[in-house]
Amino acid sequence: MRTVLFASLRTYARRYAAAVVAVVAAVALIVVTNALTSATKSGLFAGIDAPFRNAAGAVDFPTEEVTEKYVEKGGWALAMSMQPVRTEKTMLGQDIMVGAVSTEKRWQWQELKSGRFPTRAGEAVVDANAAKTNKVAIGDTLKVGTGKSAVETTVVGLVDAPSMWSAPVYVTWPEMQGWKNPYVQTVMTAGTGDEADKWMNTDDYLTELQTQLNKEVDVVAYMVLIFAFIALFVSVLVITNTFSILFAQRMRDFALLRAMGATKRQVLRSVRREALALGLLASLLGLLVGAVLGWGIVALVRQLAETAPLGDVSLEWPWLLAAFVLGTLTTLVASWLPTRRLMRLSPLAALRPQEGFDVRGAGMFRLVLGALTTLAGTAIIFVAVGWDDAQTGMLIVLVGCGTTFLGVMLLGPALVPGLVRLAGSALAKVAGSPAKLAAANAGRNPKRTAATAASLLVGVTLTTGVLTGMNTIRGATLDEMAEQHPIDIALQSESKPLADSVLGDAKAVPGVADAVAVPGAMASVEAGGKPVSLPVVAPPASDVPLMDLTVKPGTMVISPAAASAFVENSFEASGEKATLVVGDRRATVTLDVREIDGAPQISAATLRELTADPQTYAVWVRADAGADPEDLAGTLGVLAPDAELANGKAQRAWVELQLDVFTWAVIGLLAISVLIALAGIANTLGLSVLERGREHALLRALGLTRRQLRRTLAAEAVLLSAVAAVVGTALGVFFAWGGSEILVGDILPDATFDPPVLQLIAVVVVAGVAGLVSCVAPSRRATRVSPAEGLALD
Amino acid sequence: MTQTSVPTMTAAARAVGLTKTYGKGATEVHALRGVDLEIRRGAFTAIMGPSGSGKSTLMHCLAGLDRPTSGQVMVAGQPLENLDDDQLTVFRRENVGFVFQAFNLLPMLTAGQNIQLPLELAGKRVTDETRARAQMIADTLGIGKRLGHKPSELSGGQQQRVAIARALVTQPAILFADEPTGNLDSETSAEVLDHLRRSVRELGQTVVMVTHEASAAAYADEIVTVKDGHIEGVTR
Repeated sequence: MRTVLFASLRTYARRYAAAVVAVVAAVALIVVTNALTSATKSGLFAGIDAPFRNAAGAVDFPTEEVTEKYVEKGGWALAMSMQPVRTEKTMLGQDIMVGAVSTEKRWQWQELKSGRFPTRAGEAVVDANAAKTNKVAIGDTLKVGTGKSAVETTVVGLVDAPSMWSAPVYVTWPEMQGWKNPYVQTVMTAGTGDEADKWMNTDDYLTELQTQLNKEVDVVAYMVLIFAFIALFVSVLVITNTFSILFAQRMRDFALLRAMGATKRQVLRSVRREALALGLLASLLGLLVGAVLGWGIVALVRQLAETAPLGDVSLEWPWLLAAFVLGTLTTLVASWLPTRRLMRLSPLAALRPQEGFDVRGAGMFRLVLGALTTLAGTAIIFVAVGWDDAQTGMLIVLVGCGTTFLGVMLLGPALVPGLVRLAGSALAKVAGSPAKLAAANAGRNPKRTAATAASLLVGVTLTTGVLTGMNTIRGATLDEMAEQHPIDIALQSESKPLADSVLGDAKAVPGVADAVAVPGAMASVEAGGKPVSLPVVAPPASDVPLMDLTVKPGTMVISPAAASAFVENSFEASGEKATLVVGDRRATVTLDVREIDGAPQISAATLRELTADPQTYAVWVRADAGADPEDLAGTLGVLAPDAELANGKAQRAWVELQLDVFTWAVIGLLAISVLIALAGIANTLGLSVLERGREHALLRALGLTRRQLRRTLAAEAVLLSAVAAVVGTALGVFFAWGGSEILVGDILPDATFDPPVLQLIAVVVVAGVAGLVSCVAPSRRATRVSPAEGLALD
Repeated sequence: MTQTSVPTMTAAARAVGLTKTYGKGATEVHALRGVDLEIRRGAFTAIMGPSGSGKSTLMHCLAGLDRPTSGQVMVAGQPLENLDDDQLTVFRRENVGFVFQAFNLLPMLTAGQNIQLPLELAGKRVTDETRARAQMIADTLGIGKRLGHKPSELSGGQQQRVAIARALVTQPAILFADEPTGNLDSETSAEVLDHLRRSVRELGQTVVMVTHEASAAAYADEIVTVKDGHIEGVTR
């Protein structure tokens, strides 16, 4: 049988194209993941030990006391803080990571490129790359921070640092301590530390750190692998279908072999070896493609973004082996069912004239089982929606979605052709007989039609599910963000009134839609016997903020950070009373503690109680929708250099960007599965065209024009992909509804289920168009054959 | 007519009380209604009859491709009714050769590979001897120079001669040909039939041919006429 095996592989290689594409894509995705992870790891680990050259040991995430204790004993803190940074002329950024640099030689772990290290507070070093892109040079003065705690510092040197610890700007540690949120990741110690502080010696510390980082990178890698598994699942569907069709076409060959004296076992072994050979070759190709892509992507990223923490790619054997084995196994598993069907083959089939292939629809058993499974899955989803505990509910809803999907797949052979017929008869009204023929063609082999649609169904269901779910989450999150940061940009004075000119100047800045002055006063609050002074403002009724911010009389809305100045547990201080004093006037207010930007807010009436002469303590700005929040903040910051600047618009934009990046990353990874499915549709159609050569010739002989034949095939592809897309969208939206109903109850109370109608329509349209593209090659092949040639085909 | 090399009186195949029924109840079709038949060894036998007469079913049962509803078939001294599917397959492989009307060759194999196929299926090593025999047969049939070609590159007559060579290569006890000239023009038909007759004369091969054409049957030593599921007569 070896001759038969090799000859078959040579002859039918092209017909396996879709199967090969599917396996190659899935295997390559795994290899690319490994390439990116290994590059990320080597990038992160390069120079990871640089700061620790003179350290005896270190404590991770130390408390303030622990940090102070070891710094006093000659240690050094690896600290960082997000701060606005500006030069005399321009704003460099609202949230720039600022690191700490030592004035002592032994803790100066950064690599000096030019200039010198700081010798005192008020001197800073800047990352050489950052300096180049932001046009900062030695001798420039930087203002780092906002409001009272801002520091002015002179750049004295340019440095380079390993990616793990690098920051664009480094100031001295004493200056950082004045900031609200200096974050100390690690404190390095000069001598041996205490066990009680979780002190570790340097070697142990670095080993631990690398293990931790490895885990974190691996978690991301495993998330990506989920998509590789989805791609493999879709591949199984596509390959099973390819084999089914190919074997149907080769039935006569197999029957002839049987008549010639091949046992069932011999035939079966031969085709299984064919599948094995295909799987091995495709997986090998997948490894190659994955390696080339992986290296290419890493090289490209490093070319485009020099500072990206990507090191060298080093593919790991376990990953390669796993990818190879998974690819091969997928092919074998996928070929199992179709090859089993060969067992029923009788040698007599070789003697009969060309007859219909196995076109039986699904049995009654399958349909009943499918209906029951679908109902059960739907019921589970409804049960989950009513569940109290969101986590358990989420798990139950996942089970429900999986069960429903399985049910729909089982129902496929009845459902898909039925829907295609329905859509076809509608299309026939505009497109005429080609559409009618196409619908009939799709219905003639229900199992094949259903299997082809199923592969696309997986991708479309997941894509629309993610789109809908994310749209709901996005809506709720953005509403919450708008509530926390309702003001696009606020200039907030912390000690003295803003100049009268600020409002007018702000209104004149391009990109500012409107601005309003907010009256306020400097008040003091009694706390433990000594007064704490703080600015209070009374939000006016204005449409500059996204919502009405006027405060109820007798209430003060205050952020936990501001409240911590005078109450013990600021997060739970809502409802407590506080007395505000301005001069000799006083007013008692009830605290309402929540995350707000800027100064504490009181009502206009309370402000009138406190002062007869309120002055402007803040200017709130509403930006044009298209304005860049960073640029705007830079310009506005210059108007009132001493005021604190809160950039709500940038915060909202950042969260929005995160959500979008996440959504599109997921969609991008799912697109691989959708592409595999589309290759499957093209393949099914292509193989069907080969099979129906004679029939097409007959139609052409009877008067179907070349153009009509092409349209028939196009209609078949579009009907199939559109039906799969519509069914998938319905399922995806339903599943997302189940998921979001659970979230609404518990985690995101304000969320409302919100399907992104335009995006969903786009998915269906794209699927239809892709179906159209997939039929180009098959229909060209079909129309190239003249009727006479076609009728002579066996 | 004369037979030269082999004893004539032993049967290559024998059927006793053969019936074959398809379907049940109202759709019941009796393809064979009690057929008794002996195929002489070393003879060229034609089974003739109009379409639907049951001649193909008779051949399928004789060749072990199909099982009769009742009755016995013995081929090369071996009763077939007790063999399971694998045993029957091996039996066919060792004792029976086939030439069909069409779809006779595996399209992905060359003519040479097609001829060697039954040997390979049997797991036999391709030796110089078998190769020489295959070449000899191919030369006899006039296709010795076409062995490297795929079936799609051969004419209909050439394809059919490759099929005959393949059937002969295992030296089967009996060779069945099912309408071997059905797809060929009259000139090519004559050539193919001539080759079949020569394999009987020169190689001592037993050949059974199913046909509905009297002109084809004329090449045979014996003509068995089948009508409505039973044998109407045997002409020698």
